[in-house]
Amino acid sequence: MTQGRLFLSETGRIAFAAAVALVVALVIIFFASKTPLETFDVLLTAPLSSKRTIGTWIDDSAKLALAGLAFSLVFQARQFALGVQGQVYIGGLLASAIALSPLGHSWIAIPIGAAVAMLGGAFLGFIPGYAKAKLNANEIVSSLMLNYIAYDFTNLFLRLYLASPKSGLTASDPFPPTAVYPAFLPRTRIDLGIVLALASVFVVWFLLYRTAWGLKLRLTGHNARFAAYAGIRSNFIMVSAMTVSGAIGGLLGALFVQGTGFAKIAIGFEAGLSFEGILIAIVARNRPLAIPFVALGYGYLRQGAQLMGYRSDVPAEVIGIVQGVVILLVASSFTVPGRAFLTRLTGGRPAAERATTP
Amino acid sequence: MNLILETVLSAAFVAAVIRTTTPILFASLGGLLSDLVGSLNVALEGMMLIGALTAVVVSAYAPWYVGVLAGLGVGGILGGLMALFHLRFKADVILVGFAVNIIAAGGTVTALAYATGGDKGTSINLPSKAIPALDLSFLNAIPVVGSALTQMFSGHSYLTWLAAFLVFAIWYFLYRTPEGLRFRAVGEYPAAAEAAGISPNRLRTYGLIASGALAGLGGAQLAMFNFVGFTRDMTAGRGFIALGAVLLGRRHPIGTAIAAVLFGAFEALSIALPGILPSVPGEVIHMIPFVVTVLALMLSSKRRLTA
Repeated sequence: MTQGRLFLSETGRIAFAAAVALVVALVIIFFASKTPLETFDVLLTAPLSSKRTIGTWIDDSAKLALAGLAFSLVFQARQFALGVQGQVYIGGLLASAIALSPLGHSWIAIPIGAAVAMLGGAFLGFIPGYAKAKLNANEIVSSLMLNYIAYDFTNLFLRLYLASPKSGLTASDPFPPTAVYPAFLPRTRIDLGIVLALASVFVVWFLLYRTAWGLKLRLTGHNARFAAYAGIRSNFIMVSAMTVSGAIGGLLGALFVQGTGFAKIAIGFEAGLSFEGILIAIVARNRPLAIPFVALGYGYLRQGAQLMGYRSDVPAEVIGIVQGVVILLVASSFTVPGRAFLTRLTGGRPAAERATTP
Repeated sequence: MNLILETVLSAAFVAAVIRTTTPILFASLGGLLSDLVGSLNVALEGMMLIGALTAVVVSAYAPWYVGVLAGLGVGGILGGLMALFHLRFKADVILVGFAVNIIAAGGTVTALAYATGGDKGTSINLPSKAIPALDLSFLNAIPVVGSALTQMFSGHSYLTWLAAFLVFAIWYFLYRTPEGLRFRAVGEYPAAAEAAGISPNRLRTYGLIASGALAGLGGAQLAMFNFVGFTRDMTAGRGFIALGAVLLGRRHPIGTAIAAVLFGAFEALSIALPGILPSVPGEVIHMIPFVVTVLALMLSSKRRLTA
């Protein structure tokens, strides 16, 4: 397939995913809302209704892109490590510790916060990888357990050392302005985080498609046995993929707490966004360069759903159903979406059957 | 320390363990059946959650056993859907499973709001029923140990006894019936099973449906006995812990049951500890079941590798 046709087919698939998402949302809203048309209108147009909502959409998309990037890296190596959520919590916690320390009063808090968050996340990503390579422990279960552990650990540390009594011990004081990402557009959440997210996309693309490590990683993911015959140390690839993915998760944590949106750490600050990275990775078929676009599209729908939760009678959690259905349909391989089904509906016989019966 | 030992060795603690183990045991047995035929079911968590909500909502309008059956049925349907997408449409079973989890997390909140007319957090306004407890106080008549036995075994839900029975029923099915042999054959080496004329996909479908039905039962027990009523995300990782129990139990029903009891015991401990050791932070106590699961998984897997 040429580059052009590949691009077309990928774009077609993403358009298919978007269409599915909209149809599912419409059907649910139709059943759940007393005023379905107004609700659907909110879902579709609310994100563009003000400068602030546009900023939130862009900012959430940057975070979704990072989460998607973290998942796509492990998925490319065919590892189902699902520990991004835990990495985000630990990354956010460490970045907050830097921002609230004396370092927070100088600009250095931003690079150091990001670096420390990435180290913490990488460590958390490393554990399930190492446990799988050395101990043969299933990475799905161990990474999920680490999510819960990281969440509790973050809450504990937050309550004991960072929280301010004013918040009822659920959040820290706001970070000093020097430790918060500078905003490009005042009074919106469009800040340095966008740049960091795009830079990460580029770095991961470069690592995957322009380095030997990336080639080995993709080979291991495609066909582990072939990779082993080719002399690739698949264990090393696996552990390093999970570690790098963990670093991205940690960076996402720093983005959360040091971004203009929060500028502090609060209990449960991640609010389930990390797992939505699975959808981004699946729809983008784990291709780093497609991730920002998918993230923008999904981020728009997500932002619409949040606003719908405030402004209408349909809860924002509806987005979960949409998300799950999109993952189901995109992960499935329909040869051409619905063609065989359509032929059968219209009374014709599927092509395969025609070929075998005279 | 003595106080902890005293608590753990008491009859009341045994009763608490039985109580916390039951939902996990159902889900682990379900996970075992699908894992045996080669499809790791990561959706146990979501299936439990949907099973719990369905059981609660249905039981508000029908007798308790209809609620339980509804939980079981909806779990089975979800398992069938997973089989459809995994086996027919060739989607990766882990992704399908996670899609079910995501749909469950968002869908239960949406459906709850719909069923209660606006409540997003709990079903407190829904007059849902509880599974009745089985009274075994006649055990008191046994001399010496009678009162302890009553304390341990009386007053558990009917489903607890069903779960215990299922451990042996599944063992019997897997190791003493021809269909069970086929189940194990497919899990062991699908190509050989296929050559022998067994359709792996048929058994995988059964495995997933059974797995969903059992997880649904676990959800019903959770929301109609352990707690009465539904709260959002009330499974709180139990489905994933059950998955750990399957892996820890070496894909054997008895082993899985022992692992489930182990995790249930640590959950019971995490419920009992705040009363004994108020100085230990709640977050640390809350972590215990998860830490135990991940450690058990790592240590047990290592032994398997060297064996």
